Amino acid sequence: MLNDLLYRLRALIHRREMDAEVDDELRDHLERETEKYRRAGFTPTEAARRAHLALGGREQVKQQSRDSRGTKFVEEVHQDFRYALRSFARTPGLTLLIVLSLAIGIGANTAIFSITSTLLLKPLPYPSPDRIAMLWLRSPGIGIPQDWPSPGQYRDIVTQNHVFEDTALARGDNLILTEHAKAVKVDVIRTTASLLPMLGARPMLGRIFLPEEDQPGKPETVVLTYGFWQREFGSDPNIVGRSITLNGAPHTVVGVLPAKFRLNHEVIPTVAGIDKPDLFLPPEAEAKDPGNYGSENYNILARLKPGVTMSQAQSDIAVIAARLRQEKHRDPSFTISVVPLNDQVVGNVRTAVLILLGGVALVLLIACTNVANLLLSRAAVRQREIAIRAALGAGRVRVVRQLLTESISLSLMGGVAGMAVAALGIFITRKIHPGNIPRLDELGIDLRVLGFTLAISILTGIIFGLAPALRASRVDLVTNLKAGGKGSSVGGLSIRHDKLRGALVIAELAISLPLLVGAGLLVRSFVRLAHVPPGFNPQHVLSMNVAAYGPHFQSTQRIQFYQQLTERVSHLPGVTATGAVSALPLTPSVGWGGVLIEGYVPPANEPELQVDLRVATPTYFSAMQIPLIRGRMFADTDTRNMPSVAIIDQAMANRFWPHGDAVGKRIRRSDETPWTTVVGVVGVVKEYGLDTDARMVVYYPHAQVPAGTMYVVARTTNDSASTADAIVHAINAIDPEVPVYDVTTMQQRLQDSMARQRFAMTMLGGFAGFAMILAAIGIYGVMSFLVTQGTADIAIRMALGAHRASILSLVFQQGMRLALVGLVVGFAGALALTRMMSSLLFGVTPTDPLTFFSVFALLLLVALFACLFPAGRAMRIDPMVALRTE
Amino acid sequence: MAEERIELPQGTLDLLILKALALESMHGWAISERLQQISREALQVQQGSLYPALHRLERRGWIKAHWATSENNRRAKYYTLTPRGRKQLEVEITAWRKLTVAVAHVLDIA
Repeated sequence: MLNDLLYRLRALIHRREMDAEVDDELRDHLERETEKYRRAGFTPTEAARRAHLALGGREQVKQQSRDSRGTKFVEEVHQDFRYALRSFARTPGLTLLIVLSLAIGIGANTAIFSITSTLLLKPLPYPSPDRIAMLWLRSPGIGIPQDWPSPGQYRDIVTQNHVFEDTALARGDNLILTEHAKAVKVDVIRTTASLLPMLGARPMLGRIFLPEEDQPGKPETVVLTYGFWQREFGSDPNIVGRSITLNGAPHTVVGVLPAKFRLNHEVIPTVAGIDKPDLFLPPEAEAKDPGNYGSENYNILARLKPGVTMSQAQSDIAVIAARLRQEKHRDPSFTISVVPLNDQVVGNVRTAVLILLGGVALVLLIACTNVANLLLSRAAVRQREIAIRAALGAGRVRVVRQLLTESISLSLMGGVAGMAVAALGIFITRKIHPGNIPRLDELGIDLRVLGFTLAISILTGIIFGLAPALRASRVDLVTNLKAGGKGSSVGGLSIRHDKLRGALVIAELAISLPLLVGAGLLVRSFVRLAHVPPGFNPQHVLSMNVAAYGPHFQSTQRIQFYQQLTERVSHLPGVTATGAVSALPLTPSVGWGGVLIEGYVPPANEPELQVDLRVATPTYFSAMQIPLIRGRMFADTDTRNMPSVAIIDQAMANRFWPHGDAVGKRIRRSDETPWTTVVGVVGVVKEYGLDTDARMVVYYPHAQVPAGTMYVVARTTNDSASTADAIVHAINAIDPEVPVYDVTTMQQRLQDSMARQRFAMTMLGGFAGFAMILAAIGIYGVMSFLVTQGTADIAIRMALGAHRASILSLVFQQGMRLALVGLVVGFAGALALTRMMSSLLFGVTPTDPLTFFSVFALLLLVALFACLFPAGRAMRIDPMVALRTE
Repeated sequence: MAEERIELPQGTLDLLILKALALESMHGWAISERLQQISREALQVQQGSLYPALHRLERRGWIKAHWATSENNRRAKYYTLTPRGRKQLEVEITAWRKLTVAVAHVLDIA
């Protein structure tokens, strides 16, 4: 077997030498044979004749010898391939169009397939991730779509559930690490020992937490993540056992996690809004208190028992939730929902990704339609050539193989070009990656996708190459050669005789239109969104998080610290105003709670009133340019010894005091707290994003409710980095142990808050663009084919006196009729399809007439242009030349 | 005379070539002469089919070819049986014998 292969390979490489050898050998044979006959007494001529006769046709013998060397197939393929390349070179335009169509279709498909598989299909990097769930409290009836549970609820779930194999309680927190000259803010997760094993984490150094560390009275220990260990401790291999200072207290490092362990905000959205934890701590005292139902700041994760489904788990937990609702007097809509971890992570991107996937399928469909179309044209133009080859003795199989070789070569070229397009697409996607799309940073072309691409490209070649090939190989020699090969099957300059091709053009436009409408709707939404006033002026505002907490920051120190900070920062060059707030709009920071209004008794069926709670310094509103509607801002005189005051936003004022008489009214947080007087009403701010309506807001003065962690904002004359540095420097100068982080402009936060919309818009826009290009190629291909086929027809019309203008309009009519039919079909399709997008739209209806008609007009224009070149060519046909060549 | 010759059954040419080469190395023409002679002119060996057969046997590794100078100082391509070829020859002879016996048996009985 091996011998055989080696021989064939040798024969392939030394083809010429072996041919020459056979030649020599046969000559030798003939000489000897002739000699034999000469010796027998024949004349030299007769002897030679007999010798030749005995051997048979010399060329045939040579050919047979060649065949028996077993290289015939490869040689023919090689020949076919060379021939294919030559024929591509003869029709570069057509070849380019086919390769381009394939490249776009396959490239876009691969890129999107990669993205989809990264986002939706790739399992999370945890053991059996489909059995992990996150538990959330929901009270939709009182405007709380999702809230964190408390340790008390955790205890109830642990003791009463029948569905979980394991459960974990965790809380995000910020601590200050004082190991180095400058204090560092550290993002931590305080968790029960069960969390890390549930997520499959194994220690790289030391150990992870022990179950007994969940109990009170254990020494303070920490487990570091790989990145933090590397960054803060220079990958110290002897870190285990070392003591580090967190919030002023010593903690012993007991272990380091490996680099591959990932846990971030997308997987576990903590109350502290931390992105990635730097280290893990055992639960704090309040988490260990089973009676603690008040502190709803915790994440609960659970691993389902094998064989238990998510819906079974949901109904089991619903029973516990019902009990809690009754015992703890929760509102009637209160539930606890079991969210599969994967849904938790992918969540609201799913719709967008699925729409993109639909978009890409449509683009691929258009690309394949194009290729089928162009291959059909190609085969039709070549009928005469094929007829000649058949007449010269090429077998049908041979002809089909030749055509197949060509179409497979084409699709391979398309596949390679498509890979380049895909790589480019992924590169661009990574570039525009908004940062808040889960898991997108793991994106790359994986090998499966590569194989998928190649398979598609080859399959496309075979399927769309085979049909025309079979059709072409069934040619009727005589008719074709007689007809001059201009395709006797096609009726000159009329598309009506070629229904298939016409249908393909209609289909392409019908598919493109919904895509473009979808993209158009997203663009309109985005523009609408970008024009939503955020309620403050984001121009030239720097913002940063400052964390003045820890044992030496009691209330008084906090007040002093922020007064000092405001004083110093406002005097920096380039700073015109500065202030601070406990939860800045468009950041993950939160703060809400119940509120009671004097004289307002909520109806019995209405639950407790929930509002957003903010603590602000007096200058915060002017720094952000949040307008004062009524009353006054906070003043420096609103101190602890003075009557407590509050500012509410207009949404709240309008609801409870619609006659503009809010100022002077009193509110309080609970029955136990003293009354607070409303002194001012400010404008509504978009706290959670431009597309979300904020809750009502109550602001308290920092001097009366001193918070530790505040966002400092500074309105500046420019956005220069040096101003930001100066501010950070000034804050560090007050107290180097107070970390300053998350420094960025409000403009940037605004941009980031629209990142998802921008991403969806860019992606779908890209597809729609591709679809439009492909449709244009399709129309162009069909129309120019039509003109080529109809050259004689046109020439005769011209010879008979037809005006060039009438030829032009003839071609246009043909093309535009198809285009119009396609557009009308697409219009109807778009009306049906865009409804699915409504969750992605903002301020635009799914049937926005402006978008629909602009897209319709745009595609009409594109179709017009695509017809222009073939029509121009038809117009310039010289009847004399054309008729003579026929 | 030609009509009396028997057309060589498919596949037997390979066997005959192997047999001819079993005695000594030979060039193509000599093989064709030898086959004519030893079959007492009874078998019709198409000279033309000899060469493709030789390539086929070489590909299978049963014979080897090399160029050498022949008796009257002419260069010719000589074919030699390889050890594997020799084994193959035995296999094929056995198979042939079995076949002929079986066929003869059938013919006798029928």
